[in-house]
Amino acid sequence: MSESTDEPKGLVGLGSPDWGGFDRARTRGRGVRDVWGSFRTAALIGWQMEANWTDPVLFFIYSVAKPVSGALILVVMLDIISGGADPGYRAFVVVGTALWAVVLAGISGLAWSILDDRERYRMLKYVYVCPSDFRVVLLGRGVARLAVGAAGGVITLAVGVLALGVPLDPAAIEPGLLTLVMILGLAAIVAIAVLIAAICLQTRQESWSYPDAVGGALLLVSGVVFPLSVLPLPLQAIGLITPLTWWVEGVRRALVPGTPSSIGGAGSLWATTTGSLAPDAPTIVVALLATGALVTLGATGIFRLSEGRARDRGLLDQTTGS
Amino acid sequence: MSVYEFRRTVSPQAAAAWTPRQVLLTNLRAVGGRAYPRVHGLFREKSWVFFEVLLPFLSTSTFVFVYRALRAPPEYIGFVVLGGAMTAFWLNVIWMMASQLWWEKSQGNLELYFAAPMSIMSVLFGMALGGMVMSSTRAVIVLAVASLLYEVRFAIDQWLLLLTVFFLTLAALYGLGMMLASLFLVWGREAFQMSQLFTEPVYFVSGLNFPVARLGLLGALALATIPLAVGLDAMRQLAFIGANFPIGTPTPEVEALILVVMTVVFLAAARWMLRTLERRARREGRLSVRWQ
Repeated sequence: MSESTDEPKGLVGLGSPDWGGFDRARTRGRGVRDVWGSFRTAALIGWQMEANWTDPVLFFIYSVAKPVSGALILVVMLDIISGGADPGYRAFVVVGTALWAVVLAGISGLAWSILDDRERYRMLKYVYVCPSDFRVVLLGRGVARLAVGAAGGVITLAVGVLALGVPLDPAAIEPGLLTLVMILGLAAIVAIAVLIAAICLQTRQESWSYPDAVGGALLLVSGVVFPLSVLPLPLQAIGLITPLTWWVEGVRRALVPGTPSSIGGAGSLWATTTGSLAPDAPTIVVALLATGALVTLGATGIFRLSEGRARDRGLLDQTTGS
Repeated sequence: MSVYEFRRTVSPQAAAAWTPRQVLLTNLRAVGGRAYPRVHGLFREKSWVFFEVLLPFLSTSTFVFVYRALRAPPEYIGFVVLGGAMTAFWLNVIWMMASQLWWEKSQGNLELYFAAPMSIMSVLFGMALGGMVMSSTRAVIVLAVASLLYEVRFAIDQWLLLLTVFFLTLAALYGLGMMLASLFLVWGREAFQMSQLFTEPVYFVSGLNFPVARLGLLGALALATIPLAVGLDAMRQLAFIGANFPIGTPTPEVEALILVVMTVVFLAAARWMLRTLERRARREGRLSVRWQ
C-alpha cells in the first residue's frame, strides 16, 4: 500500500521520470485514496450545484415543499374518505411519503448528473476520460442529491408528527433494525439510480422526467401509500421482489411499530403463501438483503453494457433537443 | 412567387421593411418549424411510449389504489384518472415550455432565435402547439386505458361545455407556460429548481386527486391563479354529474369565464414580459450567458 501511495521519486509535477521512459506506476494511481478523493470531490461539486443557486431560506423551502406536498395530497385524500378516523393509516402514509422523498432524490441524482453534464455543461466526455473512475464520480454527484432528499424526508416526518398527528414514540423506535434497513435500503436506492443512469446514457434531453416516472411506477408496487394486498396478485409478486418494498416495511416497523403491514394482511400474497399475517423483522432484513443484491448485480451489469454502447456510438458527447 | 425571393432594394433599411404578408408567413413558418420536432419526435423516440405513457399511467394507478384501499366512492377513481391525464399537460408546460428558452440559452441557441427575423412569440406558440399534440397523446392513452381498466363511469350532460372547458384549460395552461418561459429567461440555475418546485406543490393546491373545494381558502386561491385547478374542477363537475363530492367552487360556466380571463391575461403578460425581459437581458448581456 505504501508503495502505491507514495509519489515516485525524481518526479516534478507531471514531468517525465529522470530516466526518460514511461512510468507504469503513474497509470495505477493510488488505489483507495484516489477513489475516495474522486468521490469526495464529486460529492462536493454535487452539493455546490444542488445548494448554491439560492439563499438558504429558499433552498430549505425548495427541499421540503415537494415531499411535504406529496404527504399532504395523501392526507387530504385520506381525510375526505375516512374523515381522518384512522391514525394508524395516517402514520402509514406519512412515513411512506417521507421515505419516498429519499427514493426520488436518490434515483434522480445519478441520472441528472449525466444529463446535466452531457446536455447542459457538455462536460460528460471530459469527465469520462479523466483518470477518476466514472462510476465513482457519478456516485459522488448522486450522494449530494440523496442528502437533500434525506433532509426533505426527515422534515416531512417531523411535519407529520407535529402537525398531522402521526403517533411517533421515541421510546418505541428500534435503532438496531432501523440502522440495518437504512444501510441496506440506501444501497438498493443507489443501485436503482445506477440502473436509471444507464438508461439516461442512451436517451435524450427530455429524460429529465424519467427518474420521476420510474419512481411513480415503483410507488405502485412498493407498498408505500397503501398495502400491497389491494393490488392484483401479479403486481403483489413484483412488489415482493422489489427491495424498496422491504425497506419501507422495515423502516415503518422500526419507527412506528404499531402501523399496519404493507406486505402482509388478510388476503395478501404474502399471507396466502407463507401462512403468516406479516413478515417478522429478520425476514424483512434477509429479503431486503437478497432483493437489494439482485438489483445491485443487475444494475452493475446493465450500466457496463450501457457505458460500452454509449462509447461505441458516441453518445457521451451527443446533445439532443426538441 | 415566394415571399422569400430576392428583390433589389435601394437600401438595407428598405430590404428590412417587410410586407405584412411576409411577416405573417415568416411567423407561421416559425410556428410550424418549432412545432415540428415535438410532433415528429413522437415517432422517432420509441422509449417515449414506455417512459412517458406507461410509467405515468402506473403513477396514476397508485392513487386509484389508494382510494380503493380506503373504499372510496367510484367517482373518486374517476377524479384521479382525469387528474392523471391532465398532469401530462402540466408537466409539458413546466418542462417544455417554461424551461425551454432557458434550455436554449444553455445550449447556445437563444441568440439565434433572437437574431432570426420572426417574433419570439411565434417560437413559443410553435412550442406550445407541438407540446399540446405530444401531451394529448399521453393524456388520451392514460384516460382511455385507465377508464377501461378501472371501470370509470363518466356521466356527461354538456359535451360542448366540457370540450370548451378542456380547450380553454389548454389555452390558459400554455399561456401560463409562455409567460413563465420569459421569466425563466432571466433566471440562472434556479430555473431548473423552480421547475421541480412547480410539480407536487401545484398538484396539491390544484386538487389533482381530490376536489379542490376541500382546501378552502387555499383552493380558492388556486382557482384564481392556476389554470390546472380551475380546468380540473370544471371538468370534474361536468364529467361526473350527480357525483357526491365537496362542492363550493363556482359553476363550470363561471370557471370557463375564469379560464378565458386567464388566457388573455397570461398571453398579454407573456408578450409584455418577453419584450421587457429581452430588453433587460440584452442590456445586461445575459442572452448568451450559459451555465450560471
